[in-house]
Amino acid sequence: MIGRILTIGLNTFREAIRNKILYSLLFFAVLVIVGSLAFGALSVHEEVRLTTDLGLAGMSLFSILIAIFVGVNLVYKELERKTIYSLIPKPIHRYQFVVGKFLGMVLTLGVQVAIMGAVLQLVLLLQDAELSGALYRMMALIFLEVIVVTAVAVLFSSFSTPFLSGLFTLGIFLIGRSVPDLRRISRKLKSPAAALLLDGVARVVPNLRLFYATGSDAGGGHVTVHGLFPDWSYVASAGGYALLCVAIALMLASLFFSRRDFI
Amino acid sequence: MSRPVLVVERLAKTYAVGFLRKKVHAVVDVSLSVEPGEIFGLLGPNGAGKTTTLKVLMGLVRPSAGRVELLGQPVGSLEAKRRLGYLPESPYFYDYLTGRELLVFMAKLFGLPRREARRRADALLEQVGLAQAADLALRRYSKGMLQRVGVAQALVNDPELVILDEPMTGLDPLGRKDLRELIASLRQAGKTVLLSSHILSDVELLADRVAILVRGRSVDVGPLPELLDARTLSTELVLTGASAELLAAIAELGHTVRRSGDRVQVTVTGSDAPDALVDLCRKHGASIAEVAPRKESLEDVVVKRVRAEGEQRERAEAAR
Ligand SMILES: Nc1ncnc2c1ncn2[C@@H]1O[C@H](COP(=O)(O)OP(=O)(O)O)[C@@H](O)[C@H]1O
Ligand SMILES: [Mg+2]
Repeated sequence: MIGRILTIGLNTFREAIRNKILYSLLFFAVLVIVGSLAFGALSVHEEVRLTTDLGLAGMSLFSILIAIFVGVNLVYKELERKTIYSLIPKPIHRYQFVVGKFLGMVLTLGVQVAIMGAVLQLVLLLQDAELSGALYRMMALIFLEVIVVTAVAVLFSSFSTPFLSGLFTLGIFLIGRSVPDLRRISRKLKSPAAALLLDGVARVVPNLRLFYATGSDAGGGHVTVHGLFPDWSYVASAGGYALLCVAIALMLASLFFSRRDFI
Repeated sequence: MSRPVLVVERLAKTYAVGFLRKKVHAVVDVSLSVEPGEIFGLLGPNGAGKTTTLKVLMGLVRPSAGRVELLGQPVGSLEAKRRLGYLPESPYFYDYLTGRELLVFMAKLFGLPRREARRRADALLEQVGLAQAADLALRRYSKGMLQRVGVAQALVNDPELVILDEPMTGLDPLGRKDLRELIASLRQAGKTVLLSSHILSDVELLADRVAILVRGRSVDVGPLPELLDARTLSTELVLTGASAELLAAIAELGHTVRRSGDRVQVTVTGSDAPDALVDLCRKHGASIAEVAPRKESLEDVVVKRVRAEGEQRERAEAAR
């Protein structure tokens, strides 16, 4: 059972690494991270700080965009090219297809995040910066967020067109990043109906702010990679939260997938 | 009689198309059953519902009505899926894989270990004549090569039941011959084959029994000789050295005459032997180059059925 999921996952990974578009996206991301070096150099005293912030932001943004692209595309292509016609009649369950595809994407994105992370480290070393453990914990959190966004993209593309799926996923990402703000605003709203609605949205959408911890109030007080930053136990609990989100998204995706006609 | 390998009973499938959910009746009423070890042909013009019927069998689309059973299991059962192979219509596969990689991937989905999967892939590539193209990306395959690799992936698990949707399309005459031989060898090996086609001659040579589909209905199911009228419909004679006098006499008898150069083709309708005509020719000193009785072909049956179906519909519409 696991074997078939892995077979599909590894094939998805192979598809991704043989895809030229992904290389150009990765190249662009690396360019931005290296570019943050130039920006860092502009600020005379704070160069490491600025490079780190810009580099992490660029890394997060690009890997999220690639996650949406990959998540939407790799499912849609199976349907559009009708490669799924010869897959469904093989002895696999449809959920195995969904989970296998997802794992292949996660592997692909893991490699991409690792490459971006390595480039950022290199850039920082060039500036004689001291690499802190906080930096690695932040990178791990970025990867966790990427995983959640990928699962959301797979969920949408299990029933929608790639364009709409991409749009919806981007929307969920933007709302997810603002969940704490939504909660705050909903408490201040005068209309109880509007407050309830906003609070409801904040509860349904995954709280992605938990993952982009630097510069936020994660784990109590204000934290940043340059000073106080949550430890690995925070990363672990964020991982648990990510796992929960992924499980829910993939369960729904499998449900939609098992009900649809492949026409 | 042993238990059928495949049963389709009163199957219907209606698609809802587009924003307005317009209904398209792809399959209206199809019933057939396939016995173990036979080659069964699904015949019908384009749009008759062959592909849709096979897609229901493969669990790709869900039926709107009717009952379907495969290898004694309901559609979608893993147990049945392990024992069957399927070639989709105009197949397309992961184009970033090579032929060998595709077959290894498919074999692994059946749980074959890597080494065995490779061995199986190489044997199949050899069998369908793609050994040379084993390491070529599928993106570079021609239509006929894709069809061949499609047949190979349908056989990767050495299935008991092989379902092929229009397997001959895209193949050149040599490829068709190869595939016919391959299908015949499957029968030799005791497999059951269900294949669809709109080209009747492809099936005519192979199938033990056929179902004829017209507009979503199975209008005829049975062994070919039973579906075809055994009587001679007409006889064609080719004459040489016919005089004008003779041609006039033949025309008087009411036969159709066509000439090309020295050769004259005469069609005698009906099932009787054309003795009178032969005598006439002898008398006029013409020689008879060819005599060919023409029996009902599958084409005739389908054309007849399509026409009858159309007339029935017109009558029904007129009655309304
Ligand atoms: N996905 C689909 N959506 C809507 N109509 C379809 C779809 N697939 C097939 N049809 C229609 O159903 C009918 C039967 O099609 P099909 O099963 O492909 O026939 P065949 O394989 O015998 O040529 C055709 O009229 C076709 O237009
Ligand atoms: Mg068809």
